[in-house]
Amino acid sequence: MPMDAVINRFVFLLKSRGVRISPAESLDAMQALAWVGLDERDTLRIVLRSTLIKAVRDLPLFDELFNQFFSRPKAAPAIESAAEALPPPHETAPEPPEMVAESASVSGQPDGDNAHEDALDIRDYFDDGSMATHFNSNQDANDLSLAEFGQNLVLSRKRDLLDQVMQKAMQVLKARRMKHGGRAGELNLSEAIAALDAEVITDAVMELLDELGDLGVDENLIKQLSSRLNGGIANLPELLKRTLERELALKPLPKLPDPNRRALPTLHFSEPERREMTEIVQRLCRRMRGARSYRRHISPHGRISVPLTLRRNMKYEGIPFQPVMTYYRDEKPRLLVICDVSLSVRNTARFMLHLVYNLQSRFGQVRSFAFVSDLVEISAQFEQQGIDEAIGAVFNGGLLDTDADSNYGHALSQFHQRYLGAVTQQTTVILLGDGRGNRNPPQVWALEGIRHRAKQLIWLSPESRSSWTLGSCDMPLYEPVCHRTEVVRNLQQLGRVTEDLLRRSVARP
Amino acid sequence: MFASIEQTIAQLRDQHYLCDRKLATVAFLALQMRKPILIEGPAGVGKTELAKVVAKALGRSLIRLQCYGGLDEAHALYEWEYGKQLLYTQILRDKISRLFEGVSDLHEAVEQLHLHEDVFFSEHFIIHRPILQAISSPDPVVLLIDELDRAEEQFEAFLLEVLSDFQVTVPELGTVKATTIPYVIITSNNTRDLSDALKRRCLHLFIGYPDEQRELEIVRMKVPALQEALAAQVVAVIRRLRALDLRKAPSISETLDWAQALVLLNADTLTPTLLEETLHLLIKYERDAQQVNEQWPWISEALQAPGSETTTVPAAIPLRPPLRPAESRTRPEPTAAGYFTSYPGRTDGRTG
Repeated sequence: MPMDAVINRFVFLLKSRGVRISPAESLDAMQALAWVGLDERDTLRIVLRSTLIKAVRDLPLFDELFNQFFSRPKAAPAIESAAEALPPPHETAPEPPEMVAESASVSGQPDGDNAHEDALDIRDYFDDGSMATHFNSNQDANDLSLAEFGQNLVLSRKRDLLDQVMQKAMQVLKARRMKHGGRAGELNLSEAIAALDAEVITDAVMELLDELGDLGVDENLIKQLSSRLNGGIANLPELLKRTLERELALKPLPKLPDPNRRALPTLHFSEPERREMTEIVQRLCRRMRGARSYRRHISPHGRISVPLTLRRNMKYEGIPFQPVMTYYRDEKPRLLVICDVSLSVRNTARFMLHLVYNLQSRFGQVRSFAFVSDLVEISAQFEQQGIDEAIGAVFNGGLLDTDADSNYGHALSQFHQRYLGAVTQQTTVILLGDGRGNRNPPQVWALEGIRHRAKQLIWLSPESRSSWTLGSCDMPLYEPVCHRTEVVRNLQQLGRVTEDLLRRSVARP
Repeated sequence: MFASIEQTIAQLRDQHYLCDRKLATVAFLALQMRKPILIEGPAGVGKTELAKVVAKALGRSLIRLQCYGGLDEAHALYEWEYGKQLLYTQILRDKISRLFEGVSDLHEAVEQLHLHEDVFFSEHFIIHRPILQAISSPDPVVLLIDELDRAEEQFEAFLLEVLSDFQVTVPELGTVKATTIPYVIITSNNTRDLSDALKRRCLHLFIGYPDEQRELEIVRMKVPALQEALAAQVVAVIRRLRALDLRKAPSISETLDWAQALVLLNADTLTPTLLEETLHLLIKYERDAQQVNEQWPWISEALQAPGSETTTVPAAIPLRPPLRPAESRTRPEPTAAGYFTSYPGRTDGRTG
C-alpha cells in the first residue's frame, strides 16, 4: 500500500477541515516516516503531528481525525476469510477498509507505475498484522500487489466515477429510506450497493484499460491486469461499499441547532465570532507589533552609527570629528475610538467595542469613548473587566444613559472640550456611528477641531451610503471633514477596514 | 548521535533530562532530517533546557541567540567591522598610495582602486554573529534561537534562508554555505503567532506541563535530596495550583526551585504553615495570591493525602477547584471623571 497516498488522503482531510498544510509539510511528513519504525501507532501520531500541525489550536482537531482515520481495522480478518471462500481468481487481496478508502480518494496519482514501486518500497516499513497492510503470506507477492494495484488504480484514477457511484448509491439509499420510513442515521449499505448499476463499473474498467493503452504501458501488463480485473469486478461493489462507509464515517454529523442558543442575550459573543475576532486582532497585532521601525533616524541622541560617521568624516581624512548618532523611532499608531452605542448602531458597535477591547488589552495606546448623548471614557472599564462584563456595562446603561436620543453634536463638542488633549499628531481617531443626531445641531466645528489635531480621522458607519441623504442624517455634513468614511456592517468588513488603516499608519515614515 | 527514539530518551536521561516519547521522537527526527525544531509552550517547562542537554548529549557546542525586541541582522547574522576597515585603510595608506604610482588621471585611479576594493570586504572584516558562527563552524553545533516571539516579524524573515538552506547571503561576499549542518532549536513563548513561512520549515513541538508521575520523576531526579513523601506533596500542591485560573501558573522550574528551597529549609513534611511561608516562590502576582487564599482549604487538602491522589486521580480527569461563592467586588469602581485625571496608562509596567 503506498503510504504516501495514505498520508495524502489524511492531509486532504485535515485541509478540508480548515487546517493549513503546505505541500512541503506533507513531504516532510513522508520523509520523517521513513526515519522511524511504523510499528507503533503512537509514533505515527507524533511524527504526523510534529510535521503537519504547526498551531496549537489545531491539535484537538488533529487528534480527533487521527483517531478516526487510523483506527485499527476491526473487521479485516472476517473479510479476509470471506474472500478466501470465493471461487478463483480471487487474488484480489482483501484490504482493510480504511486503506481502500484512502487510496481510492487520492486523485492526481500521476503515474500508476510509480505508485506501484512505492508500494513495494514502503511495505518494508510495516509489520504484518499492524495498522497498515494485511498480506496473505501464501500468495505470490507480485501477483498480489499487481491485483491490488489494479484495483487501486480503478478507484484512484477514476475519481469522477467513484463520485458517480457514490451519488447513485446515495440516491438509492434515500429512495429506500423514504419508502420504508427508516430511521435516520441507520444506513443499509449492502442493499444500496447491490442495487448499483453494474454497467457503470464495467464501463469504468474498459475506460481505464483504454487509458492505460494510451499511456503506452506494456501490453502484457494490460492483459494481465484485465484478466485480474475481470475477477476483481466481482469484488468491486464490496470495495465501494467499504469506501462509502468510510467516507460516511468521516463526515461530521450535521449539528442540530441548539434551542438554548437563542435564549442567550445577544450581547454574548458566540464561539465563531470570538475566533474570527481573535484572528483579526492577531493580524492587526502583527502589524502593530513592529513598534520599532527598521529605519534609523539621525538625531543628537541615540548611538553612534559607524557607517554614517565614516562617510561624513571623509573630508577630515577619516578622523571622526563629527560623530553621527542614529536611533530607531517608534512608529506605533495611537488609536482613539469614539463609539455611538445607541440602539440603531448597537450591533456594529458591539463588534467595534469587542475589537477595541482586544486591542486595548494588548496596547497601551488605545483609548475608547462611548456616547449616546453624553460622552464617557470607557478605557478603564475595558482594562479592568472581562469582555462580556465591560461591554455589558456599556450597553446596559450603567455608565451612560443609553435610552436617551443620540446627539452627535453634543457628544462631539463634549469630546472637543474635555479630551481634545488626547488627540496628537500620531493619533488615529475612529468614529463609529450612523450620524443620525435627531435634528440636534450637528456641531461640525467640533469634528473639524478633532481632524485638525489628529493624524487621521475615520468615520465608520453601519448604514449604506445611499441612505445617508434620507431622514435626519448628518453624514453628508460630517463626511467632508473626515479623511475617510467607510461602511462597516459585519466583522469581516470591520477587520478589513482596520487592517487597511493600520497598514497606512504604519507605512507612513 | 541519536540512533533511535529509545536511544534518544536514554541519552537525554543521562543528561538528567526526562522526556516523553513525543519529545524524543521530534528530537530524533530533527537530527535525521536536518530540520529545525520549533518548541512552543509556557515559560519554564524546559524548552531552553532541551537545547542545552541536546548539545551535551551530542557532544556539540551550544550557540545561543537570545531574541529581544529590536534585534536586527547585525546582531544575529553578521556585521561589517567598520572600525577595523578604517584602521586598516589608515595603516595601509602608504601601500594604497603606491597603487596609484604611474596613474595619469582620476578615471584610471578609480579603475585601479576598483581592482582592490574586495580586500576590504572580505572575511577578515566580517564579525560572525551567532547564526553565521553556527553555520560556518567546522564542527557541528547546536544553535538555540531563544524566545523568537520577542523579536519583530521582520527578523523572522532573516531566519528563513538559514533555516531552510543553511546558508547566509552577505551581499558583498556572496552566499556563505554551511560547512556543517547545525542542530537548530527555536523556542517561543507563544506571545504572538510566528509566521507560517517559518513554521513550515520547522518540526513543531508543543511542550506543556508534565503529568503528575513525570513531574514527580523530574523532581526526584533534579532534587535528589528531597524526601519521597515530601516530593509527592510538592507535586500534588503544584498540580492544584495549576488547576486554578492563575495569571502565571507555577512551571517545572518553579517546582524545582521550591523543592530546592524546601531542602534548604530542612523540611521533612509540608505543613500548611510551611506552604504559606514558601508560597511566594510559586506565586508571582498579587492577584494570584488572592485567588490562592480563596481556595486555601482545597489546596491544603493536597497536603493530607498526597499518596492517595497519585493513585486515584487518573490524568484524564482534570482537577477542578471548587466553585467560588458569588464574588463580592471589593475593588472600588473608578468613575470616568476621576479616571481621566489619573489615567495611569498600562498597568503592566510597559511604556510606549
